[in-house]
Amino acid sequence: MLTPDETAAVLLSLKVAFWSVMISLPLGYAAAWMLARWHFPGKILVDAFIHLPLVLPPVVIGFMLLATFGLNGAVGGWLYDWFGITFAFRWTGAALASAIMGFPLMVRAIRLSLTNIDPRLEIAARTLGASPLRAFFTITLPLTLPGIIAGATLAFARSLGEFGATITFVSNIPGETQTLPLAIYNLTQMPGSDAAAWKLSLVAVLLSVLALALSEWLVTRSNTASASSRSRA
Amino acid sequence: MASVVALSLATSAFAATATAVTVFAAASLKESLDDAVKQFEAVSGHKVVVSYAASSALARQIENGAPADIFFSADTEWMDYLIGKKLMRAASRVDLLSNRLVLIAPVASNVSLRIAPKFALRAAVGNRRLAIADPKFVPAGKYAKSALESLGVWHDIENNIAPAENVRAAMSFVARGEAPLGIVYATDALAEKRVRVVDTFPMTSHSLIIYPLALTVRESGSAAQQFIDYLKAPTTRMLWARYGFQVR
Repeated sequence: MLTPDETAAVLLSLKVAFWSVMISLPLGYAAAWMLARWHFPGKILVDAFIHLPLVLPPVVIGFMLLATFGLNGAVGGWLYDWFGITFAFRWTGAALASAIMGFPLMVRAIRLSLTNIDPRLEIAARTLGASPLRAFFTITLPLTLPGIIAGATLAFARSLGEFGATITFVSNIPGETQTLPLAIYNLTQMPGSDAAAWKLSLVAVLLSVLALALSEWLVTRSNTASASSRSRA
Repeated sequence: MASVVALSLATSAFAATATAVTVFAAASLKESLDDAVKQFEAVSGHKVVVSYAASSALARQIENGAPADIFFSADTEWMDYLIGKKLMRAASRVDLLSNRLVLIAPVASNVSLRIAPKFALRAAVGNRRLAIADPKFVPAGKYAKSALESLGVWHDIENNIAPAENVRAAMSFVARGEAPLGIVYATDALAEKRVRVVDTFPMTSHSLIIYPLALTVRESGSAAQQFIDYLKAPTTRMLWARYGFQVR
């Protein structure tokens, strides 16, 4: 069905997408909180900066990643010297590229759910004696769960489709950085490989549909769970 | 006032009827061809537009209907491929330029290697990666792989390469110090101040690097043939030589 190289590309795509969502979730939630709840001078600039990956060409992001997180980059050099972490030509670089490209999508979804929370619920929890932290974990976080799921799914799907930043930053190494879109690109460059390119494209569509279906199911579950707990109260 | 407006409208309409010549050219031709285009435009008054990418990408685009007038490839295989698909005018083909393959390092590196059978490439790269254009379909990568194979070092290095989208992307990995070594054309190394040539591959280690150009079958009524004639004219030889190409 799938050649070993193709299976490697699929599994690598899933691994890269999973980790890119994992590392950007806490940061994404924090950024969404900051944009939804705080007011400070320069907020609009921060907002614009977070949304840059949505509007800049992915190759530009890849180029900036190379300059910043490459071995000779400002951050990359420091990370290597102190922690031995490298992104160059490694799947970690692909995950970083995907995380950055999906970040604005995640922040938007979570921010939306944060602004839709009735503030009186949180105030009620505080007047009943809950600390801010407890109010967050018992009231705010569960209520923003649909937003988190939507944001994570969007970022996951974006990662499955990420090409420009990845190939610019970490090149196209089979088994290490050759995710599904890069593998499909390779096949389109080789004569006689159109059938294989179609086959892999179908796999990409299938994976995206599965991810979306899973997220729909999770959102429905979390909605019915909170609805039933409200009706009990 | 009305006559000024009418005159400017008339001249802009005149300029709009002269269609630009569209050239799809290998990435390694960037500086030299840009220079040649500027001179041709000044001399002939015709406009030329160039799209640079890996020859493989360009050939596939032409195959899928891209509106190029001229294809200027970095190897004969992709030109032969399009001619085989009846997408090029074989009679217009000129095998114009030749190039050499070099091993490069970041300019700050002091690595020293002599290219010879079984030379210590893997040891010099260590557990980092050799940056080359993708050897599966990009001409520069194909030449690099066949050179390393004929020197008996491909097997040791093939799991330590960083396949780039085109030869310039491979060079930029070396220029930035991401890769300790890379293989590009001699002309590329000339154009990039942040890399230095470690050694040149012997011509016997790979097939002759030939840059053919030809008209596409889609081309009609443009100044494309005039441009090809200009590129192969004796007066343009000095331009190509200045950028490190050999004119055949």
